Amino acid sequence: MEKILLRNVDAPDSNTIGAYRSRGGYRALEKVVSEMSPERLIDEIKASGLRGRGGAGFPTGMKWGFVPKDSPKPKYVVCNADESEPGTFKDRLLIEKDPHAIIEGTIIAAYAIQSHTAFIYIRGELSYGAKVLERAIEEAAAAGFLGKNIFGSGYDIDVILHRGAGAYICGEETGLLSSLEGGKGWPKVKPPFPATHGLFGCPTVVNNVETLASLPWIIEQGAARYAAIGTEKSKGTKLFSVSGHINKPGVYEVDMGYPFKKFLEEDCGGVPNGKKLKGVIPGGASMPVLRPDELDGITMDYESFQAAGTLLGSGGVIVMDESTCMVQAAWNISRFFAHESCGQCSPCREGCHWMEKIFRRVEHGEGKAGDLDLILSVSGNIMGNTICPFGDAAAMPAAAFIRKYRAEFDEHIARKKCTVSPI
Amino acid sequence: MDPVKIIIDGKEIATTKGKTVIQAAAEAGIAIPYYCYHPKLTIAGNCRMCLVEIEKMPKLQISCNTLVTEGMAVKTESPKVLEARRAVMEFLLINHPLDCPICDQAGECWLQDYYMEHDLSASRFDERKEHERKREIFGPYVVFDGERCIKCTRCVRFLQEVTHTDELTVVNRGDDSTIALFPGEILDNPLSVNVVDICPVGALTDRDFRFKVRVWYLRKTPSICPGCSTGCNISLESYQNRIARFKPRVNEAVNSHWLCDEGRYSFHALTEGERLTTPMIRQEGGLVTTDWDTALEAAIAGLGANGPLLGVLSGRNTNEEAFLFARLMKKISSQTALEVFYRERELTEVEKVLKSPDRSPNFRGARDMGVHANGGFDSLAGRLVAGNFRGAYIVGEDLIDLPGDGEKIQTALEKLSFLVVQDTRLTPTAKLAHVVLPATHFGEKEGTYTNRRGRVQKLNAAIVPPLGALQDWEIFSRLLARAGEKAAYATAAEIFLALAREIPAYGGLNYGKIGDQGFQLGNETQQP
Repeated sequence: MEKILLRNVDAPDSNTIGAYRSRGGYRALEKVVSEMSPERLIDEIKASGLRGRGGAGFPTGMKWGFVPKDSPKPKYVVCNADESEPGTFKDRLLIEKDPHAIIEGTIIAAYAIQSHTAFIYIRGELSYGAKVLERAIEEAAAAGFLGKNIFGSGYDIDVILHRGAGAYICGEETGLLSSLEGGKGWPKVKPPFPATHGLFGCPTVVNNVETLASLPWIIEQGAARYAAIGTEKSKGTKLFSVSGHINKPGVYEVDMGYPFKKFLEEDCGGVPNGKKLKGVIPGGASMPVLRPDELDGITMDYESFQAAGTLLGSGGVIVMDESTCMVQAAWNISRFFAHESCGQCSPCREGCHWMEKIFRRVEHGEGKAGDLDLILSVSGNIMGNTICPFGDAAAMPAAAFIRKYRAEFDEHIARKKCTVSPI
Repeated sequence: MDPVKIIIDGKEIATTKGKTVIQAAAEAGIAIPYYCYHPKLTIAGNCRMCLVEIEKMPKLQISCNTLVTEGMAVKTESPKVLEARRAVMEFLLINHPLDCPICDQAGECWLQDYYMEHDLSASRFDERKEHERKREIFGPYVVFDGERCIKCTRCVRFLQEVTHTDELTVVNRGDDSTIALFPGEILDNPLSVNVVDICPVGALTDRDFRFKVRVWYLRKTPSICPGCSTGCNISLESYQNRIARFKPRVNEAVNSHWLCDEGRYSFHALTEGERLTTPMIRQEGGLVTTDWDTALEAAIAGLGANGPLLGVLSGRNTNEEAFLFARLMKKISSQTALEVFYRERELTEVEKVLKSPDRSPNFRGARDMGVHANGGFDSLAGRLVAGNFRGAYIVGEDLIDLPGDGEKIQTALEKLSFLVVQDTRLTPTAKLAHVVLPATHFGEKEGTYTNRRGRVQKLNAAIVPPLGALQDWEIFSRLLARAGEKAAYATAAEIFLALAREIPAYGGLNYGKIGDQGFQLGNETQQP
């Protein structure tokens, strides 16, 4: 498998501009601004089949195409570096080890929509990453790759780094924009969508770090080469952050369509200490968990995960072995979402905490008959009824844990205690 | 306005492009429930109560933020919608205290009403409710109960978008979210109590009103605010023949949904205090009570014998009263100078959202009726102070109380040979009178006001006046009869018909035409 996203991360001093340039960095940007029209660039990215790597998998070129060309307002590109999904740490690796690929990709995206100001919104907790990006931006500016008239093309671009204050919801693109505007990180009601009414009411594209970091390679190697990798609908490579009960945790770059079971057992070395696998969350804590018996035949792409009743999400693979109490796991995740719900809309604000309270009771041996159906009902009442996808993100794992490990939950209630790993 | 046809619950509805589903439905008489939506505020979309099913859309959509498109098919009563609505009700109630009996909002609480309409199921919530701040004073008139709040943010948006004063915001996250004042702020802008009106639940309540009376006992009379000449439409709400509160009544041509704090509480100063219930007449040693016949005879004789006459009418007198007053004064003496009380003051930017710079709700109407010929009230007051009059008839204004000029006016009034004062209370001005006539206030009257922009609006009597006082129009009418005029009127409506015949601008008008929303006269200009 060819490394596209991780091609630089192991090089010495990979996060410096010198190392990046010696490996061909910024040539794609030069090509874009001196040879390509924005329209051709957008077509090229459409042809590559690249889809958003933040979780939703929306085609990147199409997203750019929604930005009105004739708007008199300024346009913005925002790099979403607010990576906060539990179990996900792929963007962090790129930020710390290959910041110039992100900056180059951000400028390419900005050129595509003819934006002259781009923001990188980085999660508040990533303080080292922020320093690395800040230095990289300074280096790129000193080299003339951003600023006025880059590569003598007449194109101007500023890149501004903005640190979040530590809220999961600011990874949701409109929550991010509210925060970037200086407000509370509340997602906005849609429509209108950011493509027409984004940052400060202006046309805006928000792209994930990994999406943007894919761009330089696609430009240099050509859309066709990128599109040759992967499956029919999921093109290119994807980063997966693997954590939990696994022999070789870490960030992996995988061709879309790679067999999931093989990935876990061979690439990641399987479950340690001879224990049995109990469950895997494939796409970050917000995605439905999979039982071992559900893994057969799953390939690592948007469609296959969806067909299995879960989602690729952010590619945060969380592996749980037989020692894991699934009630505890569900409670842990629901506690996270209850804590991170922004509180704006009723179902999420009230429902997330409600589910958390019930999970907590069940884990502590205070569960009652009907509790599990109640959680299923509450999660169903949140699903699809909220302002932003956070509601679904909280509801999906809650329901999946109960549906797939019902016996374990029932046992907690019947025996009035945790039978797997009492706290 | 491009026409658009949509189908709601199988019914074809003609509407226009740019409307939202909730608006189009409301216009067609289909009420989609909501909390956070308010027609005068930006869309927040946070309560999720107005979710509806729209054909070809996989998820339910909030009807407050969905624009109509041609042929759109909407279901507002499908099982999926009803279930989502019930779910939203349940979510809003899980942390809400169930102590309606001690909540002042009870009876006009949207949670209560919608629970009866859309939920009616027992709570499945068996956890400890989250606690929040109780009884936090937000400002001079507004108090907050954090546990009752549903975070619809109507208050926050009102203060951002209407008054631009931004005192409130939402702090904290998740179910810790709560409304709070910004540090150092108090909610004391001139329109602050509107947040109470738009709060759908018992989170924001009116410190002046709360716990005085249960709202279901209130008698609601449509009327006009007597505070200034904007003429905000109000619901005058009374209990046991006392005014309990004013609530704004929607009139897009006047006050939209709003009412200023000063106007809202103006009834206290205008109606409270000991009422005059018998006419009085000056004898040696001071004012003594007398009967109406004696008082009216003394008034007509005294005024007739002491020209030149000054006539001052309150800006709170109705058109009907002004019409008779002008007629009466001209009948008594050809040397009569008439004015309606009118004074201006400086308004702040926030006050200008609603208020007019005066405290004379009907100054324009009074002038239309002929209580006007003398270069304005201040010029007339100057002439009074200069000693140009021998007799005066002052209605409903305590002129001695005027800031600045009070003392000079008092001296001038003391020098008059004859003074009639008609008022609801024995004011310092009334104490100088030779005849005092007990009258009624705005809440006791039927009649009309013409606001600053020339909109004729209807006052309705909400309160029965105390025994012994007479309606101002009736006093004028009785005096007119004594002055020799034959026409007698039995009701304010009759007087209005008479004035409509006589005053061209009001030609053809009657109470029916004025209705609850008023009637705009041809000349929609601001006076003075």
